[in-house]
Amino acid sequence: MAARAVGVQAVAWLLLCEAAGLSGTPAAPAGAGKKATCSEIILRQEVLKDGFHRDLLIKVKFGESIEDLQTCRLLIKQYIPTGLLVDPYELASLQESNITEAVMVSEDFNIEAPNYLSKESEVLIYARQDSQCIDCFQAFLPVHYRYHRPHSKDGETFIVVNNPDLLMYCDQELPILKCWAQSQVAAPCTLKNKDICQWNNMKYKSVFKNVTLQVPVGLTIHTSLVCSVTLLITILCSTLILLAIFKYGHFSL
Amino acid sequence: MGRALSLRVRPAGVFGAAFVARVALVLYGAFQDRALLVRYTDVDYRVFTDAARLLSQGRSPYLRATYRYTPLLAWLLTPNVHLCEPFGKLLFISCDLLAAWALYRLLLLRGLGRRGACGYCALWLLNPLPMAVSSRGNADALVAALVLAALYLLARGRLACAAVAYGLAVHLKLYPVTYILPIALHLRRGAPRPAPPPAPAPAPRRARASALLRALCSRAVLLFAAVAGLTFCALSLGFYRRYGWEFLEHTYLYHLTRRDIRHNFSPYFYMLYLTAESPWSPALGVAAFLPQLLLLSAASLAYYRDLAFCCFLHTAIFVTFNKVCTSQYFLWYLCLLPLVMPQVRMPWKRAAGLLVLWFVGQALWLAPAYLLEFQGKNTFLFIWLAGLFFFLINCCILIQIISHYKEEPPAERVKCD
Repeated sequence: MAARAVGVQAVAWLLLCEAAGLSGTPAAPAGAGKKATCSEIILRQEVLKDGFHRDLLIKVKFGESIEDLQTCRLLIKQYIPTGLLVDPYELASLQESNITEAVMVSEDFNIEAPNYLSKESEVLIYARQDSQCIDCFQAFLPVHYRYHRPHSKDGETFIVVNNPDLLMYCDQELPILKCWAQSQVAAPCTLKNKDICQWNNMKYKSVFKNVTLQVPVGLTIHTSLVCSVTLLITILCSTLILLAIFKYGHFSL
Repeated sequence: MGRALSLRVRPAGVFGAAFVARVALVLYGAFQDRALLVRYTDVDYRVFTDAARLLSQGRSPYLRATYRYTPLLAWLLTPNVHLCEPFGKLLFISCDLLAAWALYRLLLLRGLGRRGACGYCALWLLNPLPMAVSSRGNADALVAALVLAALYLLARGRLACAAVAYGLAVHLKLYPVTYILPIALHLRRGAPRPAPPPAPAPAPRRARASALLRALCSRAVLLFAAVAGLTFCALSLGFYRRYGWEFLEHTYLYHLTRRDIRHNFSPYFYMLYLTAESPWSPALGVAAFLPQLLLLSAASLAYYRDLAFCCFLHTAIFVTFNKVCTSQYFLWYLCLLPLVMPQVRMPWKRAAGLLVLWFVGQALWLAPAYLLEFQGKNTFLFIWLAGLFFFLINCCILIQIISHYKEEPPAERVKCD
């Protein structure tokens, strides 16, 4: 009985250790002691400005000072929901003005469609080193709202922007990368050339679970009022203009 | 209102000042584009330039999203790519001045003196709206110039040339197609008249309709229709063979079936947005189209004798009752206003009051639209109400113009040179 209890306890401990090992960072074969020094990458998504034209600002901070971070590049793969629109021509002109380096991955897009006729898209943003804080990167993307379906009750609907994928590529093989790297993703090395690099998909902690945006929409309870009043006024005015034409115009052939 | 507009300067002075002002705006625009984040140049101009670049590389201009114009425009702007980017703006400015010149010549033909004609042209030349529109790179001045050239050539009796200009104008922007009925009725006046009708017995409807049809088939009408139709079809067919279905879709079909549910000046905007997915949507679209059709037909039959006034009424009615209306559309009838004004005998106080009212109507729409687009407030109902109010103001102005219009030509009035 006691042996079985010990056996069960041992199995329980083993399972617990395994679980701890799985939920932690991918097993670093070179000594579990290094796990303790892996700090987190903090990612923060903010949306600036008001109205239909917004700016998405993504800030990434490395938890500890890393040498040779200058040799690394950070790429943010942002998933754009159907409710938002990114104008690729605007991105091209911002790139020319050297404000941000971003490119749309999806080919098929319609700038004018409402959200229910649009598809999700992906944007790659090449982050820049933030001058205001050490070991920080930031990325900036202008987004626009699409028109949404009108609602029956609330005058607002929501767009949810999920957290992006964080990709990192270093010229040299930095051991610290193994703390965070989950998988490898192929993506263009820089915006300008077409070479593909193998970027590391990094694990990070996000300040917010996601970003929620409020979009004003029309109210369907107005429909009958709006239709009847609009048609009434347009028919009334067209009748008045018609009467004026008959009164003052000369009809003869 | 007719007497107040004699200027003390010569026509060359006014044209010169207009040219200098426009070039100055283009230069300022280049500066603002570089210095500030908010660009002076319109988005459309970038679209034209990108399409011209694609065309010069031998590819289809329709690869550029939102390019919804004829390939002819991209071809005209290829020097944007090879020479310098402001070339297109300078082209549009030249079209502005060409339109003003056609206005001037038309006013002279109607019997106004040089100073009087110049005074009315100043309403276009020194008006900030066409100045801003052309210097920002919109192509509406091109169509305005072609329409005015067609009217001038018709007044001079050069039917074939007028028909070519008209065909080109319709190819560039579809709205001049509504002028075909008044032009046909106007040209028919030159046809040999039938025997005078007997004493007032109301002719049966079928007899009147067939008389109308026979009258429309005069030689002048057929010549005009044939040449204009040939110009239009030749251009369309040529581009269709080169670019396929995309050309038809973007150049013509998009504008015919355009249902923009995003906010704009039209009184129908909110109605179309709320019913965009409802089964009533096609019926409402037709209901919105019928007043336009009815009014355009009535205006053609009543005023075809004065082609300029008829075309002005056509375009003003078309723009006011359209399902989509943006500020560029105002230019379409603004270019004909100087032609019409000598015969609209309105006290200048009333005219000034109507003008102020028009601007107030626009401002009342722009305020909630700004709150919606740049502050995210739900002002849809206010935008709708402001749109209806602006629509009412436009109708009021139209009725005032119709009621004050006098048909006799200005040559019979005392000239005030």
